[in-house]
Amino acid sequence: MEDLFEFQNVCYRYPGHKQLALQDVNVRLPEGEKIAVVGRNGAGKSTLFLHCNGLYRPLCGQVLFRGRPLAYDRASLKRLRQQVGMIFQNPDNQLFSASVAQDISFGPLNLGLSEAETRRRVLEAAEMCDIIHVLDRPTHSLSGGEKTRVALAGVLAMQPEVLVADEPLASLDPWMRLTFFEILQRFYDRGKTIIMATHNLSVVRYWASYVIVLQAGRVVFSGTPKELLTNRVVLEQTELSRVWWKVDPGFDEETRAPATSPGAEDGRLKETRNFHFGEDGDWSI
Amino acid sequence: MQLIERYAYHNRLRKVQPDHKAAIALLGLLLCLALDKPVVSLTCIAWMFVLVVFIAGVPARTFGHVLLVEGGFILMTIPGILIGIGPSAPSDPAAWAWPLGPVWISTSSAALWRGVALVMRALGCAAAMNFLALTTPSVDIIELLRRWRMPPVLIDIMTVTYRSIFVLLESANTMYIAQDSRLGYMTSRMRAIHNVALLASQLFIEAYRRGKELQIALESRGFTGELHVLPTSYRFSPLFTVLGVVMTAQLILLWAMV
Repeated sequence: MEDLFEFQNVCYRYPGHKQLALQDVNVRLPEGEKIAVVGRNGAGKSTLFLHCNGLYRPLCGQVLFRGRPLAYDRASLKRLRQQVGMIFQNPDNQLFSASVAQDISFGPLNLGLSEAETRRRVLEAAEMCDIIHVLDRPTHSLSGGEKTRVALAGVLAMQPEVLVADEPLASLDPWMRLTFFEILQRFYDRGKTIIMATHNLSVVRYWASYVIVLQAGRVVFSGTPKELLTNRVVLEQTELSRVWWKVDPGFDEETRAPATSPGAEDGRLKETRNFHFGEDGDWSI
Repeated sequence: MQLIERYAYHNRLRKVQPDHKAAIALLGLLLCLALDKPVVSLTCIAWMFVLVVFIAGVPARTFGHVLLVEGGFILMTIPGILIGIGPSAPSDPAAWAWPLGPVWISTSSAALWRGVALVMRALGCAAAMNFLALTTPSVDIIELLRRWRMPPVLIDIMTVTYRSIFVLLESANTMYIAQDSRLGYMTSRMRAIHNVALLASQLFIEAYRRGKELQIALESRGFTGELHVLPTSYRFSPLFTVLGVVMTAQLILLWAMV
C-alpha cells in the first residue's frame, strides 16, 4: 500500500486565532482507498483538506505527496492541483459561471488543454456525472443535487488521481446520495483514491476502506473501519461510542461500550467495498 | 428581471448567433437615434415587436410589459421638456402661460411635440435593446463581448457578478424568511427598517465570506488570475443578415419620405 499523502508534524493556525487548527498532525493517507475522515465540527477536517491541495501552507512540519514534499511555486502547484481534485460542501460557492458547460470547462482549460480536448472532457465528465441534460441550462436554475454533480464534473474533467470531498453529502437527499456514490464508485473503479469528510457513520462503516479520526486538531486514529470499531480507547476518547452504538449490533447497549470484537462476526463488514446505503439509518456525530 | 431571464433562455432564437441578434439591436438603436422622426421610432418598435413576438415566440404581454416599465422611467423626464419656468411671460405668442406667484409657468405646442418625439425616440431605442435582452441570455452577451475583444478583467467581473446576483438573492431571501418567521416584520415600521438594515449588513458579510470561498475553490481548479472558459458554438443564420438589410432600408426610406 503506497502512501498518497503523508503529513509530518503538521500544524496550522488561522490568522488572528489563538488556537491551533491542526496540531502536530502525523498521518499517512494510502493510495487506492476510500478514505473517510470523521470528527466533530471544528475538529480540523476542512483545514486538513485544504493542505492536500496546497491551498494552505503548514505553519510547521510538511506535507508529502507520493513521497515528495509539496513545493509551493506556481508550476508545482499547477501539477498538484491537476492531480488532486477538491469539492466543497456548498456547490454554490464553487460554481462561478452562469453557464454549466463553461463552468466545467474552466479546470481543463487552466491545464492548458486545447479547445477540442476540453470539449471532449466536458462531455465525458458530464456523462459520468449524469448531467448531460443540464449543460444548456443556467446554473441558478439547477437543484441542489444537480449543482453538486456539476461541481463534481468540474473537478473530474481535470482527470485527477485523487478526489478530496469536504462533506459533499450534507445537502443531498438519500436518492441523490446513492447517485453520488455511484459516480464515486465509477471514479474509484479506475484505480483512483477518494478522501471524504463525513458526518455519516454508515458511510464510515460500509463505504470506507480506511478511516481517519480527528479530534481538536489532532489525528487520534487512522486505520480500517474494523480496527476503529474494535479500538475501545479511541471510541471512548472521541465519544464515538456515544453515537455509534446505535448502528452497531455488536455494541453492548447497557455499558455503551463496544463488545470485544463486534466486527469479527459481522458479515456485513466484508462488504465494505460494496457500499450498502443507509441500512441502519443515518446517525450523525 | 426573472421574467426576462426566463424568456432569454427559452425562446426560438436562443441558438441563433448572438452577433446577429446584437447587430439587429444595435442597428435599431442607431437608426432611432440618427433618423429622429416619430414614424421611424414607431416602425422600429413594430419591427422589434414582430421579431420578439412572432419570430422568437415571446408572449406579446411580456414585450408590452417590459416596454411599459421603461416607458414609465422615460415619462419621468418629460416634465422638464414640456414645462418652462421663467421670471416673466414667454415672448412666444403661441405659448400658453400661467402666473404662479413670482414666476411664470409656460408650455407650447412645439414643446409638446418635442416631448412626444423624444418619448417615441427613447421607446424605439428601448424596444431595440429589449429585443436583445428578451432573446439572448446574459452568458451569451458576455461571451459576445469576449469575442469582441472586451478586456478579460471586465469579462471576468461580469461573469462572477452575474452569477453572484443569484447566489446572494437566494441568501437574502433565506434571511428575510428567517426574520419574518420570527415576526421581524410584524411589529412597528421602525423595527422593520432596523431589520432590513440587519439583513443588509449580514448580507455584506455573507458576500465577503462567499467571495473568499469561491477564491479557494477556483484556486483548487488551477485559477491563475483569468477565468478561461469554452466558447459556445451557435448556428449561423442568413435570415438575420437579410432582416437587418431590409429593416435599415425601410427605416431610411420612411425617414426620407415623411
